[in-house]
Amino acid sequence: MTARPMPRVKLNAYATLRAYLGGAASIETEIEPGQTVGSLLERLGIPADQTRIIFVNNRAAGPSDRLEGGEQIGVFPAIGGG
Amino acid sequence: MGIIYRVNMSDLTARAEPIEGSAYEALGGRGLTSALVAAEVPPQCHALSAANKLVIAPGLLTGTGAPCAGRLSVGGKSPLTGTIKESNAGGMAALALAVLGIKAVVLEGAPQDRRLHRIAVDRQGVRIEPADELAGLGNYETVARQVGQFGDKAAYVSIGQAGEMRAAAASVAVTDVDSRPTRHCGRGGMGAVMGSKGVKLIVVDPAGGQRIQLADPDAFRRAVRRFADALGRHPLTGQTLPKYGTNILANVINEAGAYPTRNFSQGQFEGTEAISGERQHDTILARGGVIAHGCHRGCTIRCSRIYVDDQGNYVTKGPEYETVWAHGANCGISDLDAIARMDRMDDDFGLDTIETGATLAVAMEAGIIPFGDAQGAIRLLEEVAKGTPLGRLVASGAAVLGKTYGVSRVPTVKGQSLPAYDPRAVQGIGVTYATSTMGADHTAGYAITANVLGVGGRVDPLRPEGQVALSRNLQIATAAVDAAGLCLFVAFCLLDDPAALEAVCEMFSALLGRPFTGDDFVALGKRILTDERRFNAAAGFTAADDRLPDFFKTEKLAPHQITFAVPDEELDTLFNFAE
Repeated sequence: MTARPMPRVKLNAYATLRAYLGGAASIETEIEPGQTVGSLLERLGIPADQTRIIFVNNRAAGPSDRLEGGEQIGVFPAIGGG
Repeated sequence: MGIIYRVNMSDLTARAEPIEGSAYEALGGRGLTSALVAAEVPPQCHALSAANKLVIAPGLLTGTGAPCAGRLSVGGKSPLTGTIKESNAGGMAALALAVLGIKAVVLEGAPQDRRLHRIAVDRQGVRIEPADELAGLGNYETVARQVGQFGDKAAYVSIGQAGEMRAAAASVAVTDVDSRPTRHCGRGGMGAVMGSKGVKLIVVDPAGGQRIQLADPDAFRRAVRRFADALGRHPLTGQTLPKYGTNILANVINEAGAYPTRNFSQGQFEGTEAISGERQHDTILARGGVIAHGCHRGCTIRCSRIYVDDQGNYVTKGPEYETVWAHGANCGISDLDAIARMDRMDDDFGLDTIETGATLAVAMEAGIIPFGDAQGAIRLLEEVAKGTPLGRLVASGAAVLGKTYGVSRVPTVKGQSLPAYDPRAVQGIGVTYATSTMGADHTAGYAITANVLGVGGRVDPLRPEGQVALSRNLQIATAAVDAAGLCLFVAFCLLDDPAALEAVCEMFSALLGRPFTGDDFVALGKRILTDERRFNAAAGFTAADDRLPDFFKTEKLAPHQITFAVPDEELDTLFNFAE
């Protein structure tokens, strides 16, 4: 019996949050099926109190949303402009 | 104490009127420009005729020592939209006027000939002087030739070639802290109105001026401290805007699937990272440019920056988010240096960067040049300064160029181009575009706050529910912010932090010597919008004009595969307080 491969997601970090990925803009990583966005961010060392905006597949999401694999996640601090 | 200068360009005379006791007492900024235009300009006049007026006014809080209160409002009837117009900018001119006790400079009438003039404003009064030697010059050279005479403490308000041509996308340039003409009242062709008055530039020398008198200086100082603390504490106004500037928005709007790409045909641009605020920040620092640059004294946010080339030579300010988008993703261009060069050209020729980028994208849609052709776009812009027929078309805006070339996808409302958020993927801003008294304008009611940024609550951007109420409340608050002369970016803080709004009300109370509450703030905004709606109705605008172009309701936008779905009947309730 071979183990099924762990599902993966791609996470894009922006602005000041890139510092927590060692300056990288994105990372691909394995997740536990059903893992929440919040626990993934915690594992990656991205502080919850600095994460203001979360997207999953280009839709607004929150830390309690669950991931199944294959998603693209985007995280931002408080930003604005215009 | 305050005065309004009336400058009559028909007979080249000027006179001062006290604002006290007039219909405009206790008004400022957009509150003053819109009240004066609504009362004195015939709504059906031609915007380039002698009947129109150009009203230039600092805000109510400008010159008081309030932070981020240096906005200059320029108003009149717009040659681009045919509506009333107020376009505001930072830079140093509002402060210079305010400390001289000047509440407004009103350019009236029009000369019979095509001669150009300089209006010199100082403590002694106003002089109207010939300036024909400046004909055909861009804003940079125009200002450079004046600084030797008037100095770097003076502020300069000028037009470039586009304004002289009376082109509908012409801006009014305002000099920044470094005497560069980088801050523009861009929208709606106010530069064309200035050109139609035969005024090439206004020089404001603040020497001998003094701070605005306050009814309660101690209370005012306390309120200023509270307000400045709130701005510094908020992570957006205190951290990310100074560090990255306005273009930090590029990635988040792209993630939201709302970054208009190739003339609003897609919601995401594959070249976004190359033109993002993060890349811009790294590029500027690597080349020895400047970040966290304030466009006027007293700005604590400092979202501007100085962009330099790979040799370290000054190119332009910013460029700002809207400009980078308009000339970048919207044209399929991912070359930040080319975009910066076009920003410099727009500022020099005196063009609204949003309208110009949108027009270039329509020119690409028309097949004049292909999408992604940065050098072709630069060549098209060069035509503007030459005054060729094609250049005049580019300077006339997207609606005129699109009509001329038979393009059906032209993203304008009331003749003004949509800014950098696709209304299908951010439906709240679509409501603002459709209904604003100004034509398509993001600043009029910046629903990106709750729709995307999580500021001031959250409203799902992909659904029509709640968007009209969101846009209405923002349009009311924005009108009041514009009257105060506050930079709209303080709104990020006002929406999140009750202490900040309290502090603004306390500043008003201490300035005016009477209690000023949040309700008064709302009433001020409603009054301004009511004046503007009345003018537009008399100019012939109806509910049928408060609509997005049809293609936003019929063409689905990727990646969300969505159309604009706010019903017309709901749009028609937006100004339910004004009718």
